[in-house]
Amino acid sequence: MKFSAAREALLKPLQAVIGVVERRQTMPILSNVLMIARDGQLSITATDLEVELVAEAEVETESGGEITVSGRKLLDICRALPEGVEIHVSLSGEKLSVRAGRSRFNLVTLPAAEFPVVEDIKAGQTIQVSQESLGKLIEKTHFSMAQQDVRYYLNGMLLETSGKFLRAVATDGHRLALCQAGLEESLEEQQVIVPRKGVLELQRLMSGDGDLNIELGANHIRIQLDGIRFTSKLIDGRFPEYERVIPKESSNEVKADRTVFKSALQRTAILSNEKYRGIRLVIRDSGVTLQAHNPEQEEAEEELEVEYSGEDIEIGFNVNYLLDALGAVEGDDVTLSVQDSNSSCLIRQPGNDDCTFVVMPMRL
Amino acid sequence: MSESARSILHVDMDAFYASVEQRDNPELRGKPLVVGGGSNRGVVAAASYESRKFGVRSAMPMAEALRRCPTLCRVKPRMSHYKSVSNQIFAVFRDFTPQVEGLSLDEAFLDVTASVALFGSPVDIAASIKRRIVEKTQLTASVGVAENKLVAKIASDLDKPDGLTVIRPEDYARKLDPLPVSVIPGIGRETLKRLAGLRISTIRDLRTAGDRELEPVFGRFTRKTRDRAAGIDDRPVVPARGEKSISAEETYDKDLASLDDMDRELLRLTERTASRLRKNRLAANTVQIKIRQSDFKTFTRQRSVSPPANGTDQIYAVARELLHTWLSRNAGARVRLLGVGGSNLAPDEQPDLFAAAPEATSTPVDRTVDEIRDRFGTDALGRARTLDRR
Repeated sequence: MKFSAAREALLKPLQAVIGVVERRQTMPILSNVLMIARDGQLSITATDLEVELVAEAEVETESGGEITVSGRKLLDICRALPEGVEIHVSLSGEKLSVRAGRSRFNLVTLPAAEFPVVEDIKAGQTIQVSQESLGKLIEKTHFSMAQQDVRYYLNGMLLETSGKFLRAVATDGHRLALCQAGLEESLEEQQVIVPRKGVLELQRLMSGDGDLNIELGANHIRIQLDGIRFTSKLIDGRFPEYERVIPKESSNEVKADRTVFKSALQRTAILSNEKYRGIRLVIRDSGVTLQAHNPEQEEAEEELEVEYSGEDIEIGFNVNYLLDALGAVEGDDVTLSVQDSNSSCLIRQPGNDDCTFVVMPMRL
Repeated sequence: MSESARSILHVDMDAFYASVEQRDNPELRGKPLVVGGGSNRGVVAAASYESRKFGVRSAMPMAEALRRCPTLCRVKPRMSHYKSVSNQIFAVFRDFTPQVEGLSLDEAFLDVTASVALFGSPVDIAASIKRRIVEKTQLTASVGVAENKLVAKIASDLDKPDGLTVIRPEDYARKLDPLPVSVIPGIGRETLKRLAGLRISTIRDLRTAGDRELEPVFGRFTRKTRDRAAGIDDRPVVPARGEKSISAEETYDKDLASLDDMDRELLRLTERTASRLRKNRLAANTVQIKIRQSDFKTFTRQRSVSPPANGTDQIYAVARELLHTWLSRNAGARVRLLGVGGSNLAPDEQPDLFAAAPEATSTPVDRTVDEIRDRFGTDALGRARTLDRR
């Protein structure tokens, strides 16, 4: 194997895939990236056995071949070389030689055959959607994914096709975020759970516009983006029946200016308990009072002008959950639909059902 | 005594760590002994009464202790052992009142005001507690009895070891006045120096000193300090809220060798831990297990869980995984002790969206089991898997 390329041509694909190369590895080969050079194309693959990223680059190939080498070291070398320099890579024996200008590096390799790759994912359904739409679905829901929850099926995002909709749902049991995008054509009903790490990696890769194809197999999801192929294992589990926990709109509906509400929450939150983040909302038709206090007995209180004609309610929330939801809602106004102080609360942009946020109150 | 008079006990074990070591090892009895770090650079964690005759004190550098008493025996501290003895002692306290404020492993305040009707006068209770501690642990304690924490603590120190001292309000002046001011909490070395400059060394000096003298030293605490010198203290006994961890463990007569047996015992211990968490309305951010092999090698393994757990199934899933991971590296292990615990505890104040569903943190089944056990005892109801088939 022998090829050469400009520093930048190598740096870009390496930076794109390095996120899945974990620093602490149980299998040494997982800290390596697989490089395959053939006919002027170089593909670089990184995997953690859950998420696989393949990035392509154009290079000058003198002879084709494939090998694996430490991803981080190769990236560090490319990054440290001067801009615009031409890098020559060749395999001699079991070492990979990297030369540029007056620098020479010899890197240890492991055989390409030992590198675990996901071949055919046996796609059952392909969804065409704009990058913008998928990006929005992820952006508006990812923060509600659970993290290291024993309910492993919550440590990811549900992607669901239903009629002419592609829907993303994430929940950690305390709050839930749902966002949907319309599709050109009606699709077969299907639910998959993309693991948290895959979702975050995918979010990092989304930048451009144009359409992309989402391929869904029985165990994998694969998405082709510009120059990068993303493949992730799916979580083998059943997502809870999320529709059951989305409350009906209640007549106790607070309508507020979203930015004003958010800033008021942020100010009040300063004196909430740093660990539990509890905040109290006293809801009256005259307005909402936000109250917080902490173990040092410090107190914050703020009055908020809102539209409300429902019953008097006092309800507690983890303020972070409210802030996340208010950050994701679009538009100038926001509605909070509250049943009573023990039931979950529904947060939406008025007149827009595409995005729904549900937050469970805290005991006060 | 006024209507609102309280009865407070301060119980302080005598040279606790050292006494435990002497109890466990007859060769150490009657000898000057300290418990403390292995090297000469360590400090004395506890000094036996024999060693105190040589001027050895706790918190003294080990080298200094050895200089004062060259024949000193040194023992490395066994904290987990002291902790388990301490648990026995605190269990005695809780037999008399739930109002127990632990200050350390070997020291606690007890408010027995409401226990008098059941167990007799405060002095009777103090005597019973001392007796019960000896029965259970063969160790002695010194107890101070008074109407408040300050005086109770001073009293317990007046007749060590194995003392029982009562100080009544009418005796305050007579008994407290001659004592050095350093017995009052909050008066440290620097304050002592400044007081010495004012020729204040006894509690009587402090009690009778003028505000003008005390103000520069104590500032806005002048009034409070003078109250203390007069034996006035209205601080309540605060039972330790928010335990740091909740756990259950058991040592088995016969080592556990089969996976089935271990899983079953693990589940049984998990049920105990989880139900105590729920009873205290707490949830654990960390689940840990403890394993002691037949050769006494002890391992602990832990993992954080999210959301915080107090459901039996939820904790068991983690505990079991920890155990199985450990077993995969210690195949064929024979296990003498197992434990399951939750730590990093948080109030269980965030209900779950899916709480009505089986994946909830604590299920309705858990709650029903808790209720039945509360009424009919722990053995009234159990999971089939926890039944020993042998």
